[in-house]
Amino acid sequence: MKIENTKAQMRKGVLEFCILSVLKDEDAYVAEILDTLKDAKLLVVEGTIYPLLTRLKNAGLLNYRWEESTSGPPRKYYGLTETGKLFLKELNTTWSELHNAVTIVTSQKNTKK
Amino acid sequence: MNKTVNINLAGIFFHIDEDAYLKLQRYLEAIKRSFTDSQGRSEIIADIEARIAELFSERVQNDKQVIRISEVDEVISIMGQPEDYLVDDEIFEDEPQTAYRSKSATSRKLFRDTDNSYVGGVSSGLAHYFGIDAVWIRLAWILLIFGAGTGILLYILLWVLVPEAKTTAEKLMMTGEPVNISNIEKKIKDGFDSVTETVGDVAKNVSDSVSNAAKKIDVNKSANSIKSSSRTFFDTLGDVIMFFFKVFAKFIGVLLIIIGAATLISLIIGLFSIGVANVIQIPGLDFVELANAGNTPIWLVSLFALFAVGIPFFFLFYLGLKILINNLKSIGSVAKFSLLGLWLISVIALIVFGVRQASEHAFEESYTEKTELPITATDTLLVKMKGHDNFNADSYHQDRFKLAYNDNGDKVLYSSDVDIIVKSTTDSVAKIAIRKRADGSDYEKAIARAKNINYDFDFKNKTLLLNSYLTTHPDNKFSDQEVDVILYLPESSVVYFNNSTRHSLHYNTYDGNIVSRDDTNHYLKIGYEEALCLDCPEEGLKVKVKTPRLKIDDKGIEINAKDGKLKIDESGIKAESDDVKFNIDSDGVEIIESEE
Repeated sequence: MKIENTKAQMRKGVLEFCILSVLKDEDAYVAEILDTLKDAKLLVVEGTIYPLLTRLKNAGLLNYRWEESTSGPPRKYYGLTETGKLFLKELNTTWSELHNAVTIVTSQKNTKK
Repeated sequence: MNKTVNINLAGIFFHIDEDAYLKLQRYLEAIKRSFTDSQGRSEIIADIEARIAELFSERVQNDKQVIRISEVDEVISIMGQPEDYLVDDEIFEDEPQTAYRSKSATSRKLFRDTDNSYVGGVSSGLAHYFGIDAVWIRLAWILLIFGAGTGILLYILLWVLVPEAKTTAEKLMMTGEPVNISNIEKKIKDGFDSVTETVGDVAKNVSDSVSNAAKKIDVNKSANSIKSSSRTFFDTLGDVIMFFFKVFAKFIGVLLIIIGAATLISLIIGLFSIGVANVIQIPGLDFVELANAGNTPIWLVSLFALFAVGIPFFFLFYLGLKILINNLKSIGSVAKFSLLGLWLISVIALIVFGVRQASEHAFEESYTEKTELPITATDTLLVKMKGHDNFNADSYHQDRFKLAYNDNGDKVLYSSDVDIIVKSTTDSVAKIAIRKRADGSDYEKAIARAKNINYDFDFKNKTLLLNSYLTTHPDNKFSDQEVDVILYLPESSVVYFNNSTRHSLHYNTYDGNIVSRDDTNHYLKIGYEEALCLDCPEEGLKVKVKTPRLKIDDKGIEINAKDGKLKIDESGIKAESDDVKFNIDSDGVEIIESEE
């Protein structure tokens, strides 16, 4: 078992949740989402995001609109749908539970040592 | 200096170096391959292209600037390698099957490896397919070649039917490596490829293989869902059954190949040798010619027989190969239909030949010569048979035709189909009739053939010496020639059939034949329609009665009456009624009253 794989899987598992979170307050186009995620060091390469965005869009959690750009091709601005907002809410709950659980488990281990 | 290409990426125009363009193209193809249509491939690709265009735009200050390979490398490092685009199945189980990469990676396809070939690349191709060293395969070929040339034919068939691995993608499929951009690049770097192959071809082949893989996924959707959904006991069971089914199918395929190849080879060897031997007149094989009363050229019959039997077995062989090798080159519908046509023609021709052959036996005619023998009622006739040293000295009666040489050294057709029939006559002198019979397609031919039968006998000192064989010229062919020797003997004359006549006599006497095989070596007195044995041992009283109630035979007497039974035999007397049993035997007398 490679540590790299485990890391990548952990990251990919929360990636959808993070993408939805980025779009929580305002719509954004791909480069903006990418910047946020890259700043947070959640993404190493950009390629990973495209299939995820399409998946989320196809699942009805995201929608998008086209906007002209001055510097390059037209941009896709993604935003949350109503379902997406509900989904995100649920994920938030799950995440806090999970976060708690992980904190408890890892700290217990530490105390045992 | 570098050649440049103009590209349109997401609606934006770019100048790009040719090598950079090729690299970008391969990159995009590889990514495309990472997705299936159901994942929204075209949309994802469009998004990625748009992003790449954006990244390029950031790096280009004015319209005249060209994108070089360094820019492409930079963008690729930002976007990530094709592997990074993959969505893991374990995480997204509801995704309909994205893991065909790993599947196609493990399944190999059979191609001919012409890069490592001695003859046609069949051996090294098979070696790749089975994952063993080509040396073993070649060794097997050599063994098979010594095994009656089986190997040569099989090799040629595989050479024709198995496609050559021409493209890089095919070469990768042959060795079982996954067809992806890094492997293709590796192959190219290794100098594995022929120089003439263009990268465009590679890209095309890659996309072909992708679409093929996508097609396969559709077909195997149900089977594959096993992998993506949670595994239950029944799913595993299904897998096991599928596995055995596949193994069984392969086994059937191997069986078909062996049966088909073996039959084809033996047919070709057998019929070829008959056909050729007939044309160049090898001695000892002319029996075929003799059986051929219809005078059809033997080589033609052999050829038709080869097609009529061989073509179905060829298809069997082909089917077996098809089961084993899923990317088998089709022999083409033209070839299939012409083989089918050839087969039909051959079958019809064989039927025609058969009818012609059969018509040679349509008429059976006989020709009889009668001669008087100076035997009167008071004489004793001795009948013997003699064979021929060249044919069969022991005069053994067998209905076989054979080619042999007579005393003059001429080739003759020989048969031992000689029958003796004995009849009684009221004439004062005995007579012998020689009835010669033969088949023919019409009356004249049959009669002519019958007359052409040579048969001799000798009469000296009241001894009749019959030939145990007949001969005829080979041109007359086998047409059921036979000879009946009919002896008309005056009543009250005596005849003695020597043991040598045994096989020519009939098994039983019947109306018109009064002497059977059992009567040899005895003096027989001819009576009216019968021959009485004069020196047979007395057999004593022979009584045989068998009715439902009464049985009298060699063993004793048995009576089954209504109220009881009586049995008298060697051991004693047994009487039995409903009430009493009565036994007299070596133990004494016994009376048993049944208890009621």
